[in-house]
Amino acid sequence: MADKYLELIGITTRFGDVEALQGVSLSVARGEVVCLIGPSGCGKSTLLRAANWLTPPNEGTVRLDGSVVGHAPQGRATAAQIRALNGHRARIGMVFQQFNVWPHLTALENVVRAQMVVLRRDKSEAEAKARQALADVGLSDKMDAWPERLSGGQKQRLAIARTLAMDPVLMLMDEPTSALDPELVAEVLAVLQRLAEIQMTMLIVTHELGFAMRVADRIVFMEAGGIVEQGPPQELLSNPRTDRLKAFLDKLSLTTLPKDREHAEI
Amino acid sequence: MTLDLTIFVDYGPRILLGFWMTIKIVVLAISLGLPFGVVLALARRSRLRVLSWSALAFIEIFRNTPFIIQVFLIYYVLPFYGLRLPAEQVGVLALAAFGSAYFAEVIRGGIDAVPSGQLESARAIGMSDLQAMRHIVLPQSLAIILPPLTNQMLSLIKESAILSTITVQEMTMTALRVQGETFRPFEAFIMIALLYWLLNEVVAIAMRALERRWTTKPVEGEA
Repeated sequence: MADKYLELIGITTRFGDVEALQGVSLSVARGEVVCLIGPSGCGKSTLLRAANWLTPPNEGTVRLDGSVVGHAPQGRATAAQIRALNGHRARIGMVFQQFNVWPHLTALENVVRAQMVVLRRDKSEAEAKARQALADVGLSDKMDAWPERLSGGQKQRLAIARTLAMDPVLMLMDEPTSALDPELVAEVLAVLQRLAEIQMTMLIVTHELGFAMRVADRIVFMEAGGIVEQGPPQELLSNPRTDRLKAFLDKLSLTTLPKDREHAEI
Repeated sequence: MTLDLTIFVDYGPRILLGFWMTIKIVVLAISLGLPFGVVLALARRSRLRVLSWSALAFIEIFRNTPFIIQVFLIYYVLPFYGLRLPAEQVGVLALAAFGSAYFAEVIRGGIDAVPSGQLESARAIGMSDLQAMRHIVLPQSLAIILPPLTNQMLSLIKESAILSTITVQEMTMTALRVQGETFRPFEAFIMIALLYWLLNEVVAIAMRALERRWTTKPVEGEA
């Protein structure tokens, strides 16, 4: 991988005595889609949240297009460092498992607000951008709806539109479909797939191996705070080199994997 | 005891002047105390120890000592340090400080009740902590904050009667004077009791209206 657009270098994160990440390094190229998989508690979400400094690591460096994201893990951040971090965050879209749409704002306002507050866009520009983003995720008819009237899938698509309107250069997705009813997963995955097609750089934590197989350029398998194995989806999932990945896939195969393996062969 | 109606006519205007003073003091105290309460609540949640501990100390002192003692301390002790303020100003400051401690706790409770994911998504999209508070968290905590905030305002209005002890010419002070001159306590105090009730009722109704306006979403389709 020649082009290192996002670089996570030597990320170590401790929660009390527990070392959730042990010096993990990972880079993502421009336009690349990387899926992080692994058992719960393996540190994949923590790694994702280090990328925009939402969970600042104890050690390590994050770089986006060469410039350092966040500040020194130790010591207090200066006002300038905090401003710089907020500038980076504005360009890094993040999608959460629990959607975190803002319930006191309509769908349109959800997408407009940060554009005006963070990017200082004027109202008409922000609204035009928001309409476009909502159309892109198929929510044109829900502009004036309150989030509580939306289904889970619609809420997640709204959350995606909210970040798209910020013109992100990178998207971080933390189990974007895990909180959805099974029949709503497909509509969100379809949106993510379109993002992958337009070469959006994405780092996605997911349990949807079938989806990862279709959209990912690379799958990274993590366990116990470290990266165990990574590679192109087909190769990695059909031919795991480590016992740990084999064990993980075997466990999953009780439920979802047979179908995914078929996918792999098509 | 029969009511002497002439007292109402003769002393009513003076009582109303006291009522006007009470209103001015209370409005000023709330206008100062409420924003300061927001500042205290935010300081209390700050990661800066100096800030959060100072806020906590302030809140605990003003919540856990009698208001009348706070008033005495401010009124009689400040002059020793060369700060001699008119009684009305001391009254406003004392009420504002007392009120802000309670407002701060109510506001903090409201902020804490908003799910952490809301603050997180605001920060992840690039908002500063203050922007996230202002645009995302505080608006959502209003529904939780407003009812107990109203209660605190009502008790602040009632506590303002204590300012009569430091010669502020507010309503209770006026009633005490009228009673002293006429020896008719019942007429004097029933007048101000009614006026306190009236003032509180107006505030309560206004706050209920605000609650409805700020926390009820229009039904889908009407928007």
